[in-house]
Amino acid sequence: MDIKGNSDCAGCPQFNAKGLKKLGVNTENFDFVVALAGNPNTGKSTVFNALTGLHQHTGNWPGKTVIRAEGAFEYNDQKYKLVDLPGTYSLLSTSEDEEVARNFILFGKPDVTVIIVDASRLERNLNLVIQILEITDKAVLCLNLMDEAKRNHIKIDERTLARDLGIPVVPTSARFNEGIPELIKTIDEVANGKIICKPHRIKNVPNNIQKAVLKLSAEIKKQFPTIPNSRWIAFRLLEGDTRIINALRTGELTQK
Amino acid sequence: MNSYSPTYALLIFFILSILIFLLFRPKRGWYWVIKNNLKINEKTVTEDVLKYLYHNEISGNEVNIISLTAVLKFSDRLVVDVVKKMTIKELIKFDGNVLSLTEAGRDYALRIVRVHRLWEKYLAEKTGYDKVEWHDRAELMEHRLSHKETDLLATQLGNPLYDPHGDPIPTNQGEIANLKGAALSSLAVNSVGRITHIEDKPDIIYKQIYAENIHIGSQIRVIENNQKRVVFYAEGEDFVLAPIVAANITVDILEKDVIEEENKSRLSSLKINELANIAGISKEIRGESRRRLLDLGFVKGSPIKIDLKSPLGNPKAYLIKGTSIALRNDQASKILIKKI
Amino acid sequence: MKKKSVENIISLSNNLRWQIGDDFHDHLAEGIYADASEIVNNAVQTDNQKKQFRLDSKIDKIVTSKIWGFPIMFLILGLILWITIIGANYPSSILANLFLENIHPALKSFASNIGMPWWLDGFLIDGVYMAVAWVIAVMLPPMAIFFPLFTLLEDFGYLPRVAFNLDYLFKKSGAHGKQALTMSMGFGCNAAGVVATRIIDSPRERLIAIITNNFSLCNGRWPTQILIATIFIGAVVPSSLSGLASVSAVIGIAILGIFFMFFSSWALSKTVLKGEVSTFNLELPPYRPPRFWKTVYTSLIDRTLIVLWRAIIFAAPAGAAIWLISNINIGDQSIAAWIINSLDGFGFLLGLNGVILLAYIVAIPANEIVIPTILMLTVLVTGIAGGDGAGVMFELDSANETANILKAGGWTLLTAVNVMLFSLLHNPCSTTIYTIYKETKSVKWTLLASILPLIMGFIVTFLVAQIWRIII
Repeated sequence: MDIKGNSDCAGCPQFNAKGLKKLGVNTENFDFVVALAGNPNTGKSTVFNALTGLHQHTGNWPGKTVIRAEGAFEYNDQKYKLVDLPGTYSLLSTSEDEEVARNFILFGKPDVTVIIVDASRLERNLNLVIQILEITDKAVLCLNLMDEAKRNHIKIDERTLARDLGIPVVPTSARFNEGIPELIKTIDEVANGKIICKPHRIKNVPNNIQKAVLKLSAEIKKQFPTIPNSRWIAFRLLEGDTRIINALRTGELTQK
Repeated sequence: MNSYSPTYALLIFFILSILIFLLFRPKRGWYWVIKNNLKINEKTVTEDVLKYLYHNEISGNEVNIISLTAVLKFSDRLVVDVVKKMTIKELIKFDGNVLSLTEAGRDYALRIVRVHRLWEKYLAEKTGYDKVEWHDRAELMEHRLSHKETDLLATQLGNPLYDPHGDPIPTNQGEIANLKGAALSSLAVNSVGRITHIEDKPDIIYKQIYAENIHIGSQIRVIENNQKRVVFYAEGEDFVLAPIVAANITVDILEKDVIEEENKSRLSSLKINELANIAGISKEIRGESRRRLLDLGFVKGSPIKIDLKSPLGNPKAYLIKGTSIALRNDQASKILIKKI
Repeated sequence: MKKKSVENIISLSNNLRWQIGDDFHDHLAEGIYADASEIVNNAVQTDNQKKQFRLDSKIDKIVTSKIWGFPIMFLILGLILWITIIGANYPSSILANLFLENIHPALKSFASNIGMPWWLDGFLIDGVYMAVAWVIAVMLPPMAIFFPLFTLLEDFGYLPRVAFNLDYLFKKSGAHGKQALTMSMGFGCNAAGVVATRIIDSPRERLIAIITNNFSLCNGRWPTQILIATIFIGAVVPSSLSGLASVSAVIGIAILGIFFMFFSSWALSKTVLKGEVSTFNLELPPYRPPRFWKTVYTSLIDRTLIVLWRAIIFAAPAGAAIWLISNINIGDQSIAAWIINSLDGFGFLLGLNGVILLAYIVAIPANEIVIPTILMLTVLVTGIAGGDGAGVMFELDSANETANILKAGGWTLLTAVNVMLFSLLHNPCSTTIYTIYKETKSVKWTLLASILPLIMGFIVTFLVAQIWRIII
C-alpha cells in the first residue's frame, strides 16, 4: 500500500481503527518497542508496511532483510516503535541474520514481540515460535497469509492454538489489510499488561537433557533471580554459545 | 621501444609465470616449502617422534632408530640428534635396539594427539575445509597450540569425546577412551556392526573411502569377505572394497538386541511418488549444515517426498513440513529415511 | 563475587555438556518439532481431499522440466536484458540532450553573466556537473527498466526456480545456484548484484558471488562495448554483415565474462575461500502474484535510486578530478599529458595506450564516463580539432566522427579489441567497491575483489596484444 492509497482509503473500516496513526520512519519518543520476527516468506514486511505505512521491499525470498528496518505507529496516544527483524527459520544456528534477530529479542528487550507465521505452513513456523517463547513471554502470534491457507483448505482453530502456545493469536491477511486493526489492538493489550501471556515451554526433550537444563537453570536463577529466561540461557550454555557466555561474563544479560 | 619484440615479451611473461607457479603453487611451492622448513625445530621433531612411538605402541609394533628415521620426513642427523636429547630428558628409553615411551613421554604424546584430534573436530564443525585436508592442517596445528589454548578450544567445542574420524580424544588429564571394534576386513560374513572409525592415513586410501560415500555411524552387514574383495550392505546399498581399503575401516560388532532393522535407506535413493519418514541425519553432516537441516524440519519421523527434480537431476526439491526445500544429492545421501 | 558465580555457572554447564554428549542440538531440535507437531495436530485441520490440485505444482513441473526448463529461463532473462538495452536508448538520449545540450550551455551562460571566474565555472560546471549529468543520463534509464522487471520476477517467485535449475552448473565451480541470480542482477549493475548476494546464506558461496560479480558486464559498460564494436568490429566485415558482427562481438564479450566468472569461482573456492563454511539449501517458495505498482515503486526506491545516489556521490569528485588534471599545467604540459606520457609504454604492452589507461583510472567512479573521457583526453593530447575544451567530456552523435578522433589517437583494431576486453576485465567501479566493503566488512575481500579482475585484464590484454603482433 502506498501513501496515496492510504488517503483514498481513509473511509474504509479497516483504517478507522480507533486512534491509529501511521508514523512512518518517525521513531522518536516512543512508549513501547515492538519487534517483528518470523520465518522468511511469511509476509513479515507486508505486516510491517501495513502497520507503519512504509514501503520496505523484500522479495519472495528467504533471507532478504538483513539490515533491520525501523518504523513507528501511534495507537491510543501511545507511540510504538516497530523493529523488523531479519526473517529466520530458527534462532539456534549461528548465521548473521539469526544473530541479529536473537540479539535484539534477548538484549533489546522489546515490550512486545510479534511473531508472524505462514498459516499454511504452521508446523515449520512453530519451530521459531517455540524458540522465541523460551526467550520472551510478551508475544503475539500473527497468523498471516490466512487467504492462502483458506485456498489450500487448511482450517486453524485459533483458540486452541492460543491456549497451547499461551499467547494471543491474531489471524491476518496483511496483503489485503485484513486483521491489522485486531493485531494493533492485541499489541496494545500485551504492551499495557491487559493480557498476560503464559508461554509454552519445550517439553519433548529426553530425560537426561531435561535434568541438565533444570539443574543449570536452577543455578542461574539462584545466582541471578531477576533473569526471566533462565531456561533458555541454560539451553544456550549447553550448546556452548560463546556469545551468551560472554554476555553472562560482562553482565549484559543480568542488568535490567 | 627500440628493443621491443612481442616474442621476447611473451617469453619473459611465460618465464615469470612459471617462476611464480614454482614459488607459490599450493603445498609444494618453493616459498611454502622454505617457510615450513624454517619452522621446523627440535620441538616439532620431538613431538613427531613421540606421536609415532605412541601410535606404534597402540598397534603393538616395535620401533627402532632405523624405522624411525625412515618414516619421519626430517634429515637423519636431526632425528638422531633429537632422539639423543629426548633420552636424556627421559621422554623415551632404549630397550636394546627398541625405542619406547616413558611415562612422561606418553603424557606428552597424548597431549599432542589431543591437540591434533581437537583441531580436526574444530575444522569439521566450524570451518568449510574439505575432509581430506583436516589431517594435514591438524598436523601443523598440533605443534602450535599451548595448553591453555587447547583447553579453551576443547571447552568451545563442548569437550568432545571423539574426533570426526571416530578416534577418541584424550582428556586434559590424559585419559583416553578405547577404540572399540575390529577392522572391516577381519569380519566374518553376516556379522552386523556399526562403523566407528575411518582411518585418515594414508591419504590415497582415505580418499578412496571418501569417494565411495561410506559414512561413520552407518550400520553394516558383511556379505562377502575373501582375499579379493570385501562386500558389505549398508543403508540400502551394497559396497565393494579391496581388502586393503577395508582394513582402514573399523567396525564395532553389535549385540543382537541393538541391531536395527535393515529398513533404512538413503534419501538419495527416494524416487518420485514414494513416501518416506526421516530416520536421521548421518554424523557426516556437521556444524552449520546440520543445524540448518534440523531447523528446516529434517528431524526423525518427519514425512518426506520428492517435490521436484531439476532438469539436470541434481539438486532435487523435497516436500517437508509443507515446504519445498532443494538439497543436493550428496547431502541427500547423508540423510536416512524409512520408506513407507 | 558476581564474577565467581558466573564462572560457577559456566563450569557447571561445561560439566553437564560433557555428560549429555554430542547430540544435544539434535535432541533439542527434535523436541521442538515434536512440540510443534502436537500443537498443530490439536489446532489444524487439513482437507487432503481437496488439496490435491495446486496451480503451483503445475507451473513448477513446466519451469523445471528437462525440456522446457532451460529454454523458458533463457527466454525470460534474455527478454529482460533486451528490453533494458533497447528500451533505455530513447530515454537516455532525451536525458543526455536535456542535461548536456540544454542545461549545460544554460549553466555556462548563467555563470558568465554573474561573472564567475573561469576556473570555478570550469571546475563546477564542466567538471562536477558534467560527470554527474553523464552518469544520470546513461545509468538511470536502464536501471529504471531493469530493476522493476527483475523485481517482478523475484516477487512472483520464479527466480528461486532459476537457481534450482542452474545449481548443478554452479556447484561444479564451487558456487551456489543463487549466484545465477546475483550474476543476472550484475548485468544491470554490479553494486546491486553485490547487495543481492544477501540471498545466499552460505558464507563461502556468498563471498564467491560477491567477488565474481564484476565479471557480469554491467549497464555502464554495455554502451562502451556497443560503440567500439560498431566502429571497429563492424568495419572489418562486409557492410551487410557489420550489424551482426558487432552484436556477436558484444555478446561474445558478455559470454566470456560468464566464463571468467565460473573460472574464478572455481579457483577461489579451491584456494583462498576453501576454509569458509559452506552449506546448501534452497527453499522454493509458493508463487504469489506480485502487486505490480507497489513492486515497481519499491524497486525504484530501494534499488534504482539508492544505487544511482551512490554513483552520483562518486561521480562528482571524478568529474572534478578530470577537469583539474586537464587544466592544471606542470611545466609545459597539463598533468593529464604527463600521466599519459608515462603510461604510454605500459599501455602499449597491453595493446592499449596511455589515454585509455588514464581514462580507466579517473573513471573508477563510473564506467559510464570512460568513453567521453577517452575522447576528451585524445583531443587534448593529439591537439586535433573537436570537443568542447580541456577537461570537458563529450560524446559525438555520429559513430564516424568518433571513429575519426579515435583513429587520430592511434587506435587500431587491436586497440579496439583490447579496450573491449579491458572494459570487461578491470577493477569494479568505486560504487561497487564501496558496496563490497559494506557487505563483507572486510578490507581483504574488498581488495581481492578489486584487484583480481584487474590482474586478469592485464594478463588477457597483454597476451592478446603480443600474439596479435606476432601473427599479424
